[in-house]
Amino acid sequence: MEVRYRIRRPVALTVGFSIRGFTALLGPSGAGKTTVLKALAGLVPAEGTPFAGLPPERRPIGYLPQGHLLFPHLTALENVRFGLGTPGEAGRRRALALLERFGLADKADRRPHRLSGGERQRVALARALARDPELLLLDEPTASLDAPARRGVLEALLEVVAELGVRALVATHDPELAQAADRVVVLYRGRVLEEGDPRTVYTRPRSLTVARLTGFENLFPGRVEGIDQGGLWVATAAGRFWLEAPPRPPGTPVVLGIRPEEVLFVREDRPLAPALAPNVRTGRLLSVRPRGAQVAVRVALSGLTLRVLLPRHVQDRLDLVAGETRRVVLKPRYLQLFSPEEAPSDSSDSPS
Amino acid sequence: MIPAFLLSLKLALASAGLLLLLGTPLAYLLRRPFPGRALVESVLLLPLALPPTVLGFYLLLALGPEGPLARLGAAPLAFTFPGMVIGATLFSFPFAFTAYREAFRALDPELLATARTLGAGPAKRFFRVVLPLVWPGLVSGTLLGFAHALGEFGVVLMVGGNIPGKTQVASTYLYDLVESLDFAAANRASLILLAVAFGLVLLVRSLEERWRFATASDDRSP
Repeated sequence: MEVRYRIRRPVALTVGFSIRGFTALLGPSGAGKTTVLKALAGLVPAEGTPFAGLPPERRPIGYLPQGHLLFPHLTALENVRFGLGTPGEAGRRRALALLERFGLADKADRRPHRLSGGERQRVALARALARDPELLLLDEPTASLDAPARRGVLEALLEVVAELGVRALVATHDPELAQAADRVVVLYRGRVLEEGDPRTVYTRPRSLTVARLTGFENLFPGRVEGIDQGGLWVATAAGRFWLEAPPRPPGTPVVLGIRPEEVLFVREDRPLAPALAPNVRTGRLLSVRPRGAQVAVRVALSGLTLRVLLPRHVQDRLDLVAGETRRVVLKPRYLQLFSPEEAPSDSSDSPS
Repeated sequence: MIPAFLLSLKLALASAGLLLLLGTPLAYLLRRPFPGRALVESVLLLPLALPPTVLGFYLLLALGPEGPLARLGAAPLAFTFPGMVIGATLFSFPFAFTAYREAFRALDPELLATARTLGAGPAKRFFRVVLPLVWPGLVSGTLLGFAHALGEFGVVLMVGGNIPGKTQVASTYLYDLVESLDFAAANRASLILLAVAFGLVLLVRSLEERWRFATASDDRSP
């Protein structure tokens, strides 16, 4: 489904992208994600396709607003039935079947205030699906949930979308949720910066902003020094690195990026491929801290701080301790080159 | 005593009905800001700060035989029951209006937008979403207006004139009893008014509890 919209208020934005399967609309808060979703739902006036001119009541969509917005005076079952055209016993059975799909059949008679956050979200999802929509619109479906509930809702979501073959557009600022999608559309300040499958967008973002939004925590300013062996030498505060990249004239200012998951520690008990030698650096470990099931390490190189994210089993083998000195390698295949952009004026745009 | 109490009841019922009829649409219209809203609301809420005798005085002029309405050919309403209803309604307006307005303000526009995306047209939105969520507020406002009109003294005295058997209500009857030093009868009348007022306020409070409970279940994150 191709979306081409021109929106004037509440914020002016012009967007074009396509929705395939489970599509994530990724962007920081204020990028215009909610406005795009509301335009598709018909709640915000927009020119363009799809659904031009149709009032919200007649659009084949299922809308899950932020904060679920269940009807507080209706039970879970009545909430789901609200959108159903089928009256009587048939409607009741259909609503109950939808609740059952989300594991909520035993809570059908409860009102929203007696449901947990995750349960409410699933009721809202069942309600959005009740009208057999062509397109599901989900606004930050996991933002207000804690980690276990988030996983539950996300799994239910992915399952249903795959099973019913319904298209879904999910607005989120969470790079992890977007990773699970079939397609990612990166929205930034009212513009689509990039779209494609998550693997490409996350590993080879085309711009510095997209790199920031998708979790490139290591972004170092530098300069092209020379072209060599089908790649480039890039000088940074921490010396020269070699990477595979199309040629650029020497002297060009660039930004060198690498994801924290893709920085490797050198295993001193094993030989190192000689080709990697120019990209090896020695640094002092500033901190070694758990981050969820992973371990986050900050390494001081000369003039730069490198952020590294390791699975626990790797830390178990390496046994890194803050304060000691270790060697890291920035493998050429994981290094990305970006053109410098003007720094965003507000710091809230950078991922935390 | 009985006729005065019956007239009070009649007056309160008529005023409460008018309050619901006029106050609800006004509160609905005034739920969102617009230029000049403060001014309009101040006029509507003026009786809160105004001595009832001032309102009664101007009403008496307006509704009297020399008033603008009479000059247009209408029968003068001063010292009649309809005149008293107008006075009591105006004076009780702020109490009912404030409750109505809060009920509509608590209504989340996003909730109504969501109802639209679920295929609900204007009628379904009103009867299935708006009404069930605002009715406790509407009832509690109307009850407050009713209680207030039931005990109104100053305005009904000015506009009605406290004519026994015609425009004498419970509160003005009580005033007469005290003036004539009949404290035993005054005590009986007062106790009835006290009990009714307490019962009404208690009812309003329990409705407000229910109302808050019904409307507070959104967990949107900022």
